[in-house]
Amino acid sequence: MELSISGNALKTLSRSIICLARVGNELVVQASPTQLALHTLNASRSAYQCITFQSSFFDVYTVSGPQAHFSVLLKAVCSVLRTPLASIDHMSVQLPDHDASKVKWTLQCYSAVLCKNLDVACFRPVHNSMKKTYWITCNVEPDIQHLSLDRGRFPSTLVMHPRNLSKLLGNFQSSLQEITIIATDQTSFPSDAASEIGGKAVEFRSYVDPTKDGDSLLHTQLWIDPSEEFLQYTHAGDPVDITFSLKELKAFLAFCEGCEADIHLFFEKAGEPILMAPKFGLGDGSSSSFDATLVLATMLVSQLQEGIPAEPPEAANSTGGHAAEQVGSRPQERSRQNASEHPSDHTRVWSELSGTATKSVNGTEDRPQAQGQPDLDIHRIRNMEISKGGPVGDTAPAAPPKSQRPTQIDHAEGSRVRVQNQSFSQHHPSNWVDANEEEEDDDEGVEATPPHNEDY
Amino acid sequence: MSSSSSPAIEPDTPDLICQLDNVQGMVDALTCVRWKRHQDALVELSEHGIVLIVEESGCLQAKVYLQRELFTKYEYGAQGRPRFGISLGLLVDCLNTFSSPGHSNTIEIKYPGPDMELLLKSVDTLNSCIYSEIRTRIPETVTWDYNFEQAGIAPLTFTVKSAALKEAIDDLEWPGSSVQISLQKEPPCVIFRGEGHGDLQIDFMYYANTDLLLAFHCDTEVSYGYKYKFLKATTANIPGNVVRENRGSKLTIGRGGMLKVQHLVSVSKALAPQVESAGYQPPSRIAYIEFFVKPEEPAD
Repeated sequence: MELSISGNALKTLSRSIICLARVGNELVVQASPTQLALHTLNASRSAYQCITFQSSFFDVYTVSGPQAHFSVLLKAVCSVLRTPLASIDHMSVQLPDHDASKVKWTLQCYSAVLCKNLDVACFRPVHNSMKKTYWITCNVEPDIQHLSLDRGRFPSTLVMHPRNLSKLLGNFQSSLQEITIIATDQTSFPSDAASEIGGKAVEFRSYVDPTKDGDSLLHTQLWIDPSEEFLQYTHAGDPVDITFSLKELKAFLAFCEGCEADIHLFFEKAGEPILMAPKFGLGDGSSSSFDATLVLATMLVSQLQEGIPAEPPEAANSTGGHAAEQVGSRPQERSRQNASEHPSDHTRVWSELSGTATKSVNGTEDRPQAQGQPDLDIHRIRNMEISKGGPVGDTAPAAPPKSQRPTQIDHAEGSRVRVQNQSFSQHHPSNWVDANEEEEDDDEGVEATPPHNEDY
Repeated sequence: MSSSSSPAIEPDTPDLICQLDNVQGMVDALTCVRWKRHQDALVELSEHGIVLIVEESGCLQAKVYLQRELFTKYEYGAQGRPRFGISLGLLVDCLNTFSSPGHSNTIEIKYPGPDMELLLKSVDTLNSCIYSEIRTRIPETVTWDYNFEQAGIAPLTFTVKSAALKEAIDDLEWPGSSVQISLQKEPPCVIFRGEGHGDLQIDFMYYANTDLLLAFHCDTEVSYGYKYKFLKATTANIPGNVVRENRGSKLTIGRGGMLKVQHLVSVSKALAPQVESAGYQPPSRIAYIEFFVKPEEPAD
């Protein structure tokens, strides 16, 4: 495998590597004759990013055989791209053979000619006077994870300019880890309510882990009118909410802004993954020779049942939709109740996402069972399995999909039905980790090679 | 005044009184060799100027030459060449108090004071005076005062842009702890190579009319390894404005692989006296920095 790249394409590739490096530690490279795919998965297996480049994206692109693949540490690739792009004439990447132990990355750099006659520096590239050659240790048998979600299956979408989304997120405190997006039907407001609230059908809300001591934390809620802030907004029916990590979203925002693309978010409901993709101006994907997707797991438990109404309160009218700080004893009480009732308020991890992908590819039901249990080394997870022996046993007699549908239809009747719904979603305690363990996994990410689930 | 003092004792004239009109230039020069927070320096005074020497682990030595032409006044009255030890960090921090951005101050340096101190004093401020005394030490003997010898008949040397050299050495931090420097005759090329958990090789090709490798002399191909941390010390602390001047840094490989790295730091007035001559620096207004790096013992 050999490729060569220069100019604006090199800038895009560099931007892609930087974004991938903020998601995971290991980069999986798959090269087929028609395209190059870069994947990464974070240590807690809750974020997956894939960026693909068509062969026409590169100056030179050669793949001998049907496919070539390897994995390298992303921080090593970032060392290659430490050299200022302006001084790079072109970069080439070579995998000598299918069982090579190192990948060769070569940078040919410019030097400037000093026109001494003019007593001033005329910087123009003449020779590649400096060459940097990196040999990066690689693994030619990487644990390749695939996750392809059909964008059409998501009932809710929104598109906006990344700069605008960054401004909206700027209203939240910089240390915020997770955020909740609540989507409501834009047409469901009564005419008088619409005039009062101003049609703000979307809410951004800071998420605070109810298991933490949250008395001193800042809560921020932001109500947004899609017609003013979004380029496109699709949602129908009852309100849905998704809670996910901000860190990867911000990395992806920077990527979309650098590519001069809008950001496209696809989501369904709490517990289901959220998908992000760049949306290019001149037709989606038709004008670019590369594409990217970021998939994030979301919190299993819906924030809509915490008792905080999705509709903005009366007090928000006076602020005209600006960020409102609201800390009340009632929401905290409900949060505590929620904590006691649902100690497993966690984010669904990769294996569930993989299960979802597998099922959706096969065209089966939307709520699949996990295919086996991942071998996670986290001790607390094992304790959870021990303490939840009963629920684990309950997973064997899985409810048939037909019986789930009446439950979903009846969910409007009251919170009891919703509680029952939650009990279904918690049948796989070994498939998730809580926020603290996510942080622990981030620490584990410092290891040279993050552990992988051999089953996948 | 001599009549008022004890008639039996004549007042001593100081070994050195000198005045400098650009403190920042001196600070920049001394900062180049400041690779640790606490460093003991040896200062030697002579009729030709001031030399400051620092060293590390017997493997790295750095010298700053401040020739007398840098000073607006240089009165040398010592017998022999006085030497004293001083804390480099303390000296740089003291000098920094005499320099303010956008303003050129003149300071007077005197040695020795009544108790063998180094005395610094501002001399051109109208309404105030900054004065400091820095305690000196009896100098420890330098463990090695290398007499740099050239490797062969002709010196093996190359000159490269300081910014490019610094970038290359920064990049070489990634692979590992040792760097091999090779001079190659055909094609004319300087190769830096580091190996570890990854490998990195940086080639500086020599072409005429380019300003990357400004000079290249090599009649024998040589290759020596150096510890990365010592090599990094030769470029890591050059102030940004000095790097931006983008003068050449000269590297010479001597007998046994001793590496000499030379930088030039301008110590002229902040404002050029004439616009026409702004691009030209008289040689006497430049401080010379030299590093000597011992090679690693080749593992057989």
